[in-house]
Amino acid sequence: MTENIVKYPPRGRTRAVKRFLGQFLRDRGAQVGLVCLVFFLIVAAMPNMLVGPLQTAINATGDFLAPPSGQHLLGTDEVGRDVLNLIVHGARISLTIALLATVISLVVGSTVGMASGYFGGWVDTWLMRITDFFFVMPSFVLALIITPVVLEVMGRSGYILGFRLSLFVIITVIGMTSWSFVARIVRSQTLSIKERTFIDRARVVGSSNLSIMVRHILPNLVPQIAANGALVVAGAIYIETSLSFLGLGDPLQPSWGTLLSLAQRAGAASAGAWWYLGAPGVCALMVSLSFVLIGNALDDTFNPRRRAIP
Amino acid sequence: MRDSSDILRLENLQVHFPIQGGLFDRMLGRPCGAVRAVDGLDLNVGRGEIVALVGESGSGKSTVGRVITKLSQPTGGRLLFEGRDMTSQRSSSALRSYRHHVQMIFQDAYQALNPRHTTFDIVAEPLRSLRLVDNDAQLSERVSEALAAAGLNPPGDFFARFPHELSGGQRQRVVIAGALAVKPELIVADEPVSMLDVSIRAQILQVLVDLRDRHNMALLFITHDLPLAWLIADRIAVLYLGKLVEIGSADDITFKPRHPYTVALLNATPQIGGAARPGVPALQGEVPSAARLPNGCRFHPRCPLAFDRCKVEEPPAIEVGPHHMSACWLAER
Amino acid sequence: MTNSFPDKEPLLRVDGLSVDYGLKGDPLRAIDGVSFELRTGEAVALVGESGSGKTTTAMAIAGLLSPNARVSGGQVHYRGQRLPIDDDAAMRPHRWSETSVVFQGAMNALNPVHRITKQIAEPCILKLGMTRGEATARAIELLELVGIPADRGVAYPHELSGGMRQRVMIAMALACRPSIIVGDEPTTALDVITQAQILKLLRDLRSQLNLALILITHDLSVVAESCDRVMIMYSGRVVEDGTVAEIFAEPKHPYTKLLIASIPNPANGKKMIRPIPGDPPNLVNRPSGCAFHPRCPSTMSVCTTEVPRLGRFGHGRVACHLHPPLQENMVTVHA
Repeated sequence: MTENIVKYPPRGRTRAVKRFLGQFLRDRGAQVGLVCLVFFLIVAAMPNMLVGPLQTAINATGDFLAPPSGQHLLGTDEVGRDVLNLIVHGARISLTIALLATVISLVVGSTVGMASGYFGGWVDTWLMRITDFFFVMPSFVLALIITPVVLEVMGRSGYILGFRLSLFVIITVIGMTSWSFVARIVRSQTLSIKERTFIDRARVVGSSNLSIMVRHILPNLVPQIAANGALVVAGAIYIETSLSFLGLGDPLQPSWGTLLSLAQRAGAASAGAWWYLGAPGVCALMVSLSFVLIGNALDDTFNPRRRAIP
Repeated sequence: MRDSSDILRLENLQVHFPIQGGLFDRMLGRPCGAVRAVDGLDLNVGRGEIVALVGESGSGKSTVGRVITKLSQPTGGRLLFEGRDMTSQRSSSALRSYRHHVQMIFQDAYQALNPRHTTFDIVAEPLRSLRLVDNDAQLSERVSEALAAAGLNPPGDFFARFPHELSGGQRQRVVIAGALAVKPELIVADEPVSMLDVSIRAQILQVLVDLRDRHNMALLFITHDLPLAWLIADRIAVLYLGKLVEIGSADDITFKPRHPYTVALLNATPQIGGAARPGVPALQGEVPSAARLPNGCRFHPRCPLAFDRCKVEEPPAIEVGPHHMSACWLAER
Repeated sequence: MTNSFPDKEPLLRVDGLSVDYGLKGDPLRAIDGVSFELRTGEAVALVGESGSGKTTTAMAIAGLLSPNARVSGGQVHYRGQRLPIDDDAAMRPHRWSETSVVFQGAMNALNPVHRITKQIAEPCILKLGMTRGEATARAIELLELVGIPADRGVAYPHELSGGMRQRVMIAMALACRPSIIVGDEPTTALDVITQAQILKLLRDLRSQLNLALILITHDLSVVAESCDRVMIMYSGRVVEDGTVAEIFAEPKHPYTKLLIASIPNPANGKKMIRPIPGDPPNLVNRPSGCAFHPRCPSTMSVCTTEVPRLGRFGHGRVACHLHPPLQENMVTVHA
């Protein structure tokens, strides 16, 4: 054992990653979260293999608003489409939107928040004014203005990687409207971490500002970022729902959000069609929850004080 | 003789922090005065010398340490390292070479260590950021060497440990090892033992004294404890409200103090087997705020020996013996 | 509170006091069989490093143990009457009225949004049943007693210096006229000159009010000028107990000797650093036998296996195999 530690490779990346993964995968929450997420990723990856091609009003196979049965495991919608089929096809759009929007939001938010808190002074003042602007600007309004304009300019029908262009517009809009929340939290945390003596020590031993931010501040921000990332995922799914509801989504490529709004418009709640509302809702909830679990597990793993000491 | 071998010189060093006034003052751009944390300090540290900077809280002693380690920027005066003016040096290359020579040890080792870094990474950080090693083997060797010099043996046992897995004494040794790793010529130690258990203090002091003896490292030892200063230092400088009141050899300051404040500090220090010492009566009151300094000698409102001149004229540093200065009008005679 | 032997009965008698931390699983023994007596007006110092159990001992006596601590053995008698220290509810009337505590961090122990008179008056209202007016008068009286001018009573804690705040803490401790004051490192955060002022205040108050003092400290040098007796604690046990003069002139336990030697003392003119090797033990893996044996310069084989008993030695007590008790009677006082 001692022998092993002596040879502990300096900043041994592979070893550190291995150790990290080992710790991470031992966490019960991480296991549940990962299983759940992987399940949805598989579903999103091969919808056609699982439930056949996307059903439309034309090739719908069932009755109107039929409850779950052997043939339609999750019932049907108001035009007779199989809800399971729609959910599985919607997973890809919803996950793509949620993940990419969250990545944009976290990267922009953390960078702005950290720079603002660390440098202070006029950098802080300006970055925070910009953040405030995005903070008070309702994402809806912004999305409502940006989306049609961009769609008009770039055309509605372009495809990138098999997704329609409007999807990326929505992703960007969601990302750009949710980062300010992350930036504020990261900034306040950075302000308190910056006052800790180990930051002074890092400066005395010659670390550059960038290295202090990346090696000292960022790891201590992981719990906040991870926890908020989970919230942003949930928020992104929700905003996507609203945008779809207003007709800015893509009716030809249903997402869980579009399904929810369709269900509401079809009066699923009053008609007692719980499967129609429930199925996309539960899916969105499970994805959000799995991110929360993974976020918590990441926090536990990154925080050495919470690790079980062998 | 001392001049030629001085490694660090502070000349008339000043650190004034502006006071944030109320909203009204700020809107009118009105200055609200300043806290004069350090107010005209002259101090030199020789190569391989241990100088103790002694003062109460609010005396500005920690600020001096922060200026020397370039964590704070002075508002006046000069900071000379090996004759080079480092006062307003901000370029990263100059700072890097400066930090190669000047390192710091902190009071609270628990706070000074990033809880998410291992001992190895903590000690390796200066070597990496100052680019002092070429490869990993060299890095491991330097880290081991530093840990061993700080008394953590065998070093390999500590590489993978996190700060919370170490005892208080071990944590302070890790901080020391981090400072040692670059083989500096001057270490600023800000109250390095005051947070430690009594039985551990002597161990840490021993490490510091060994560094000087073996590597001729200079040490600026910041403390509030005069007996401790006497134990470790060659010279003692006593600071009151941002200004030196007395400086001299450790023995002179301890046994032949010439400034009433030094005498008061010595009298206030509890001692084993020492009954109440005769002489100057105990000091009354507390250190005034550095934002409103008294006129004349800044010690006169509390000084039991103050006379009229002290209230109007600030005494200069007066030579009272070989390398022994006291800033007191009484020392004139 | 009838007492048949008012002169022989000490003010406070602690017999075999043990405290465990952690209610579930493996409890950690924080203090183990601590016994001592305190007489009226006497000042005893509890000296030890972090984890030695000095604070736990004092807090158990004052009935202020944290919720995860449990008294697992021993008794405490106050003026001959047994204190229910192991019963939280029954202890409530005794808390702060017989024994009160001056805490270390005055800034944390004071409420920042209340004026100091109000904070000092609070225990008078709650414990002594005074009206607001009476309590305020008492608070001002107490402030003057600890050397704070009455007109400063309207100040908030942040407007006072560290020394002043510590005086306020002392005034609060005196509010219910206790006969024992516990000082939990009352001067550790203060500067030397302020420390000397506070120690002098405590000395004056003791003689003025005939108070007994339990001073918790890690700093032996503070003890020399402000206490009558010293109890050295190590890893939850008392290792030596004696008068200040005895302990400093002729320490018996190797740990005491090393502690005294590690204090820089210009008076003896020797610039020598004598480190005590090793680290203080933690509660989880306490060494077998005498807890000090891994760090002791004169360990014998018996030290690693047998816990030395705290026996009478000279005028004091010592727990060390180098100094076996002279006669076989333990120091526990027969009730």
